[in-house]
Amino acid sequence: MRYEGIDGRVVLVTGAGQGMGRAIAERLATEGAKVAVNDLNTDTAAATAEAVGGIAVPFDVSEPDAVDAGVADVESRLGPVEVLVANHAFMTMAPFEEESLENWRRILDVNLFGTGMLIERCAPGMAERGFGRIVVIASEWGVIGWPNATAYAASKGGLISLVKSAARAVGAQGVSVNAIAPGVTDTPQLDVDALDAGVSHEEIARRYGEDIPLGRVGMPEEIAATVAFLCSTNAEAFVGQVLHPNGGSTRVWGI
Amino acid sequence: MAVAVITGAASGLGAATARRLRKEGLAVAGFDLHAAEDVDLAFEVDVRDAEAIEDAVARTEDQLGPVEYLMTAAGVYELFPLGGIGPDRWRRMMAIHIDGTANTCRSVYPRMKERGRGSIVTIGSELGLMGDPEAAHYAAAKGAIHAFSKSLAMEAVAHGIRVNCVAPGPADTPLLKQEMRSAEYVNSLVLGRIVKPEEVADTVAFLMLEQHNFVGAVLSPNAGAVV
Repeated sequence: MRYEGIDGRVVLVTGAGQGMGRAIAERLATEGAKVAVNDLNTDTAAATAEAVGGIAVPFDVSEPDAVDAGVADVESRLGPVEVLVANHAFMTMAPFEEESLENWRRILDVNLFGTGMLIERCAPGMAERGFGRIVVIASEWGVIGWPNATAYAASKGGLISLVKSAARAVGAQGVSVNAIAPGVTDTPQLDVDALDAGVSHEEIARRYGEDIPLGRVGMPEEIAATVAFLCSTNAEAFVGQVLHPNGGSTRVWGI
Repeated sequence: MAVAVITGAASGLGAATARRLRKEGLAVAGFDLHAAEDVDLAFEVDVRDAEAIEDAVARTEDQLGPVEYLMTAAGVYELFPLGGIGPDRWRRMMAIHIDGTANTCRSVYPRMKERGRGSIVTIGSELGLMGDPEAAHYAAAKGAIHAFSKSLAMEAVAHGIRVNCVAPGPADTPLLKQEMRSAEYVNSLVLGRIVKPEEVADTVAFLMLEQHNFVGAVLSPNAGAVV
């Protein structure tokens, strides 16, 4: 499948140094986008940027000044951001009462606050120009919750409300804002789960897969394909929606 | 050429999707009460008639080949306040939507199962998600389609078949009630416009043709009628 309306667009993907973000950057580049690759890790951001023929814009999304400077950097090098994919995330897992305050703050700062700052910085310009696509990578756990992941789930659930609000605010100006709540997907983030369970990456993926109707965890390319669809011209009718690519593990609508 | 069956192919969402899928190189068999245009094979058939559907599917496979894709878009809409619908209209609404969807799946799904592949996209409605005070029987029928789709999806996935549902918002088709074309209503939508049939068609095409991991999902392109 190829998607109309992505060719030539300036895209910023956060957390794209590896895993899902990298797959998204690769897919959008294949669709013809000019991709600005953000990650906290300067090396992986550069590696992805080179792989997709884009530019690297490493910055910490939880720092508003860094977000402002980072987006300005994209604007001066590629042009105004037309598509924003907020994919970055920080995750730790621990029983609720044992999780450190530091991890709580970092998870909420990076995942929720950081995305809020990115949307605040990018959406007004998109609305002014009459076109925009914002896709936020939330999580199935933000919809249904998960044990040992209270802070992470809270941050991802908050993203859904943020997306719906932003969608209402700028939808009439041609800016579509939606969320994807992936189920468990085979990315480096699975190492966090593996550590929490005391097993290998392959083993945790296998265990999760057993409980998923599709029989396996998702693949980053599948999430990337869903991002590409939401960025296409004819996806404008999706307003503040949450899409659930999760192999059937959760069959809710919206939320 | 891969083959798709579309019910309700003579107009609206079904017709738009037939055009979209043919652009992707699929051969389309269109089922409707009257002959669909812009399809490769047209059957005049009532989705409430299980035998007629079975016959049409069999003849589709004879003439075009194995059915790999199915879209169930056949439907009707009518306004009646609650208390004024009556049993006949209830039964008709349920038959066209619920029996219609089930009948078509009942003929296509076993064939897909034998081959271990296929993709089914049913058409629900944002009114089925949120309710419609002026068409409770329509909303009920569409809600049934959502639940049916999620259920069949669970059986089907083990056999290599995906089942998902698109619940469109108010779309520019002959089924759209006049009130939903009024400036007052349209301006109440976040987008300030109703959904284009092509937008629904693209969503169906995505679910059918892309490599993704949606199973039993309900996707709702609804212009902000339901956020």
